[in-house]
Amino acid sequence: MRQKIDQEASVVMYYSARKKVALPHLISWQNTEYQVGEIGYHHKIREGRTLYHIYELIDVGSNLWFRIKLNTDNLHWTVEAISDGHGD
Amino acid sequence: MDMEISTKEALIMHVDLNSCFAIIEQQANPLIRNKPVVIAAYDTPRGMIIASSYEAKALGLSLGLSVADARKVYPGVVVMMPDPEKYFDANRRFSKLLNKYTNKVVAKSVDEFAVDFEGSPAIRAGMTMEEIGMKIKEDVKRELGSYVTINVGIAPNRFLAKLAAGLNKPDGMNRIDYTNLREVLAKLTLIDLPGINYRYQARLNLNGIYTPLQFLDADLDKLKKQVFGSIVGYYWYLRLRGYPIDQIDFSRKTIGQQYALGNKTKDIDELSRLIMKLSEKVGRRLRRANLTAGGIYLTVGFEGYRFFAHRQKVKERIYATQQIHREAMKMLNSIDIVSRVTNISVTVYDLKDLRYKQLNLFIPSEADLYSIANASDEVNDRYGEFTITPARMANMQDVILKRVAFGKIE
Repeated sequence: MRQKIDQEASVVMYYSARKKVALPHLISWQNTEYQVGEIGYHHKIREGRTLYHIYELIDVGSNLWFRIKLNTDNLHWTVEAISDGHGD
Repeated sequence: MDMEISTKEALIMHVDLNSCFAIIEQQANPLIRNKPVVIAAYDTPRGMIIASSYEAKALGLSLGLSVADARKVYPGVVVMMPDPEKYFDANRRFSKLLNKYTNKVVAKSVDEFAVDFEGSPAIRAGMTMEEIGMKIKEDVKRELGSYVTINVGIAPNRFLAKLAAGLNKPDGMNRIDYTNLREVLAKLTLIDLPGINYRYQARLNLNGIYTPLQFLDADLDKLKKQVFGSIVGYYWYLRLRGYPIDQIDFSRKTIGQQYALGNKTKDIDELSRLIMKLSEKVGRRLRRANLTAGGIYLTVGFEGYRFFAHRQKVKERIYATQQIHREAMKMLNSIDIVSRVTNISVTVYDLKDLRYKQLNLFIPSEADLYSIANASDEVNDRYGEFTITPARMANMQDVILKRVAFGKIE
């Protein structure tokens, strides 16, 4: 079941100069740490002048899907939604 | 006149993303892969399905079914609302990777492209179309994700290429040319042919044509004078034989916006506000593309499946939101609204480049209208959509979410 969250979270992001890519590595949200497993999709959107990076990913245990958003103006991260992959 | 089947080399490729919206969502969320997933306009019980994963299609959960009915068939179905920004992003990536092969790429819709490889570097380098198709499939997996698959059709014209792409879904690649055309058509029904709907099928049946092979073998005069009653019959005659009758078209013909009302209404003020918001969205897209329009088309659906549609050419070319709204409201005010409205669409057509618009500076109001439209677009670009809105749109921020057009895209 998918749930809208819209709460800030702490995220560790890692940039690889070898692969030339920056990816979220760890999410700390509601006193739990989730190591990022597969990143399903990454895209960018603009709201007004602000650019956001959206990452949709699952944790390493494949228990939870996250949609997280990076505000490139203030570099804050938000958990937009989570899902356990089941229907409602 | 009898024309042979074209023996032109098959250099047209049709590529489409399998179940585009659903497969992008399954790519984005690995937890819903290999599961029945439907995308619905609204994720409420009365929301309509607009896209389904292959797993959902196999259960009969397809376009047009309500969410409530889908859940009756399969209670565990994953229901999602569309995420247009993500689909547009996928479309841009898809388009970009195709453009690496040739610049003769036409987006037919958000998930379909027609590509002409004639004279392309890949062909000149000696690659076969099948080799190019496989390379594109690999590129798609790398750029869009490992779960994303495409169908590839190869043929001497766009019609047969699209037909070929549909032969073995998902993740198929097929060729149709003069060597196997009859064999392929023998296994299909008329409805399987792109562009033949039930109405056309009925018309063909009335004229003794029941199969694609009979359609192919039908006399040209019969198609022109009897079946279609126009040059359309000639186009079908050529199309079926593999002649490139459908030109690759780079120009945009219409810009439109449609809205299905969550709260159906007969209230004219409410409808006026909705039309204003649709007009603003259409106007923004028109201005962003530096175009003006010479006509407007309004459709209104009512409860009880009544339907109103009217198109109107305008004397002065349209550019500003208020102009679109004014013309749409003239048409709406000409009809009796006896039952509640269920959906509205506003479309502008006869599009021309703004450079050809001669602003009449001796009519200050016209110059003002253009300046105001441009200025408000600039503010909305900077601070977000609908920061400045016409007064009629007050309190409508969340109505009319961004949707993805199903037709040809910009």
